[in-house]
Amino acid sequence: MLAELFSLFYQFADVFAFLILASAGLAIVFGMMGVINMAHGEFIMCGAYVTVGLVNLGVPLPLAQIAAAIVAGLIGVLVEVFIVRKFYRRPLDSLLATWGLSLIVTQGMLLVVGSAIRGIGTPEGSFAVGDYTFSTYRMVLFACAVAVLFGIYLLFMRTRFGVIARATMQNAGMAQALGARTGRIYAVSFGIGAGLAGLCGALYAPTMTLIPTMGATFIVESFVTVVVGGANVLLGTAPAAMFLALVRMALNASYGQIIGQIGMLFAVIVIIRILPEGLSSILARRGR
Amino acid sequence: MLNLINGPQTTGNGRGFWLAFLAVLAVALAYPAFADSYDVGNFSYFLIWIFMALGLSLIWGYGGMLSFGQTFFFGIAGYSYGVLAIIMGGGSTTILALVLSVLIAALAAVVLGYFMIWGRISGMFFGIVTLAATLSLAFFLGQTAGPEWQIGGARLNGFNGMKGMDPLAVGDFYIEGTPFYYVMVALILVVYLALRMLVNSSVGNVIVAIREDPQRAEMLGYDVRKYQLVTFAVGSGLAGLSGALYTSWGQFITPSSIGLPAAAMPIVWVAFSGRSDLTATLVGSFLLLFGFQTITIYSQQAALVLMGALLLATVMVMPQGFIFGIAQAVSGRLRRAPAPSEPDAVRLQADGS
Amino acid sequence: MKAIRNICAAASGLALLVCAASAAHAADPLKIGLLEDISGDLAFMGMPKLHGSQLAVEEINKSGGILGRQIELIHLDPQGDNARYQEFARRLLNRDKVDVLIGGITSASREAVRPIVNRTSTPYFYTNQYEGGVCDASMISMGAVPEQQFSTLIPWMVEKFGKKVYVVAADYNFGQISAEWNRKIVTDLGGTVVGEEFIPLGVSQFAQTIQNIQKAKPDWILTINVGAAQDSFFEQAAAAKLNLPMASSIKIMLGFEHKRFAPPALNNMHVTANWFEEIDTPEADAFKKRWHAKFPDELYINDMGYNAYHAIYMYKMLVEKANSTKLDAIRKVIATGDACIDAAEGKVCIDPKSQHTSHRMRLVSVGPKHEITVEKDYGTIQPYWLAEIGCDLTKKNDKDQYTPSHLPKKK
Repeated sequence: MLAELFSLFYQFADVFAFLILASAGLAIVFGMMGVINMAHGEFIMCGAYVTVGLVNLGVPLPLAQIAAAIVAGLIGVLVEVFIVRKFYRRPLDSLLATWGLSLIVTQGMLLVVGSAIRGIGTPEGSFAVGDYTFSTYRMVLFACAVAVLFGIYLLFMRTRFGVIARATMQNAGMAQALGARTGRIYAVSFGIGAGLAGLCGALYAPTMTLIPTMGATFIVESFVTVVVGGANVLLGTAPAAMFLALVRMALNASYGQIIGQIGMLFAVIVIIRILPEGLSSILARRGR
Repeated sequence: MLNLINGPQTTGNGRGFWLAFLAVLAVALAYPAFADSYDVGNFSYFLIWIFMALGLSLIWGYGGMLSFGQTFFFGIAGYSYGVLAIIMGGGSTTILALVLSVLIAALAAVVLGYFMIWGRISGMFFGIVTLAATLSLAFFLGQTAGPEWQIGGARLNGFNGMKGMDPLAVGDFYIEGTPFYYVMVALILVVYLALRMLVNSSVGNVIVAIREDPQRAEMLGYDVRKYQLVTFAVGSGLAGLSGALYTSWGQFITPSSIGLPAAAMPIVWVAFSGRSDLTATLVGSFLLLFGFQTITIYSQQAALVLMGALLLATVMVMPQGFIFGIAQAVSGRLRRAPAPSEPDAVRLQADGS
Repeated sequence: MKAIRNICAAASGLALLVCAASAAHAADPLKIGLLEDISGDLAFMGMPKLHGSQLAVEEINKSGGILGRQIELIHLDPQGDNARYQEFARRLLNRDKVDVLIGGITSASREAVRPIVNRTSTPYFYTNQYEGGVCDASMISMGAVPEQQFSTLIPWMVEKFGKKVYVVAADYNFGQISAEWNRKIVTDLGGTVVGEEFIPLGVSQFAQTIQNIQKAKPDWILTINVGAAQDSFFEQAAAAKLNLPMASSIKIMLGFEHKRFAPPALNNMHVTANWFEEIDTPEADAFKKRWHAKFPDELYINDMGYNAYHAIYMYKMLVEKANSTKLDAIRKVIATGDACIDAAEGKVCIDPKSQHTSHRMRLVSVGPKHEITVEKDYGTIQPYWLAEIGCDLTKKNDKDQYTPSHLPKKK
């Protein structure tokens, strides 16, 4: 009995972690800044590849992962300054620009690094509950997802940077008039978003196949989670991930993966129909 | 009604434009006389996709609704054509199959559109719902490999694709090669002119007004939802036309024509060309399709990098879209209505209000 | 006198003309059209295919070409897009007018190309293992099919590990049909399929699947998951210490997972195929040496690349025996039953009724350090199933793909 319950919790935690880690970066870039970043998957890929590269050079895994996230973040800053900055008043054009960037990066990686690189193994460690054995690392992923949520909350709600960033997102002109360096805020925020995407890739790298197009595995779930979350990404992304993870897990367990996948998409359609502004529209009203 | 072909919602209203248009049409009609049969076939293949692009231009460029669902209706019509052509036995019934499949796609659009538009879904949410529907269909069709998945004897055949349907035919005569080319040119002409009349009419003016400011349009007394539904249904029906023609052309349709990355392609073509104008979309999409194919043929592995660079450069250097950018660079005299403002709802973050 | 001189001059002039004409004709290159993905998700499988074709063409051209004609290899990259496969098949067939078309990785791409090939009289070589069943006179299949792979693999696994199987399959035609074959063979052996899971393409997270397997307690797992995303199963299963024996008809030999994943993810995997790079017969070693000489950076010579190489040699043999590149003439050679080449695996022949190739099947196992051991050599196995169910290309052209649940209609 305990084993079954824990198994269900483990499934949920697994899907929840995937959704949160995949969408955290996009929540900031798209949800707060309005940039449709079709290259989000490529930042994830970047984090994964840098991690594997560093580990193959002898760097311990946790250090490699942090370094990879930082590298992705720095690249994000560069992308913001040179490309994305032009599109703040034309958010739908950011779609085309980042799609172009995504094509360049995935094919470029293929040409430079090759079509597949050797992976690194998942860190050792497993535990058993009843008849089932579980990988410890998957629980680490869950812990990281929760930590990421806390980190974003603390950063954007409790620091000076966070206040100024939120002000800039709401009304850049006013924030600038009050002395905020909006250009720098945008660059740093996009960098944080890219860094979180890189972290996702870094964390999942030991568990997945590493090919240049691996970002595609994350992109649909991340967009869907952010949009279902709604306008207030700090309030909405976590509940959206919880809701979708529950649906996916329940359907997977009862009917199999195809029903789980299609069912989750149906749930997205239904939830947006019921709440056309996403989950945060009801949470925000009750929260304040 | 014919004077609606020119109007405020379309560029190219003057004499110069229409003379150039007739010249291009003349060349197009004469093309099979001096071109290789492969090139004729290849050009008519590009024309198949133009309907989907024009449909998205209508929905997104004129209507302001970002729809990821063009390939959803492409797939519905494509599979419908396949099933109907097989059930009805092929031959001349394929014409009927074509018409019915477009109607089925349009009907599906009415249903999905009603669900979304009456539910006040807009902006990026509209895009995500259409994307979710599109992916659901793709995943669902992908696993219909078993023999139980058949409609009246026509097997859907899952990921490997449905085949065995006749191409468009009149009796025993298959419409392929040069006849198919002329059919495509004729269809494009009819659809293009009809769309011009639609967007320049009072209906079109309301659609554009809704795009600019839905609340204002509503307060002026228009039922915004009805106009949006019509726009969505017509645009999606055009995607369906592309789907049925594609299935007829290749006698084959798979779910990979529906899911990602196929679903993103119409958006790329239309955003690249200049979505808010029919002519720009028509010309730009054709050029992009031709350009992408040429790049893929001649530069092998570097192809995708070049395509990505082309898109990136275009959108950074020519904010109005490729066609307008070129036109402005060339003539500098192209006068049109000011650029449409981005609907606020595309951003999730509330504006502080 | 003058008349005779004139006649001789005319005759020799005519002879020279005829010689020149036929020499010019003999110098016409023979065109091979190639459609292989070298970008996109399947690039890591497509690159060895292109390399195999290039190596074969280079070798044959060096030794005089086919019927004295040099080979021109025209390759187009369809980028994993079925529509591009259609476009480029048309281009190669109608514009470049190739003499033979080779290519395609997924069954979907093959099925997209077949209707286009069928409207010409150009032969088409499909060079991958697949779910079997295509009965089409224009197509010659170089890859292994289920009766060659499963009827060797599954009895071995049942005998060695037990009668309870859990199936993890990709949720599309190939996975579903392979699962059908498995069900048939396992039940015939008195075993049970304790669970079957069909995973949609693109899914990369398998926590639920691993739990299901542990609940069902099978003796071994049949893993016919497809695609880079689904390959993540191995890493995740190893991390969760699933530790069950595994069997597959597509791992190792197609996607060289044992080179791409860190050990011990593929430990205890068993595969049957006609080619692994680890085969060490003298012919195999010579072949590998030639390949690595031209492509020193090749990570692994996979089954697809091997088949692509031998397809061109097969075509050479057919054209030379038929003394023509016409499909009808080639098919006459195939009908004699003597269309064979000596490949690196052993002798490979085309079966006249199905136009599929016989293969020398070997079963390998993977160890904890990803070392490969050849466990059993099954000798030559014919692709007997299509003929068994009634496909006979010497008599009629069905142009269809059959499966165990979609058999030809009995007349």
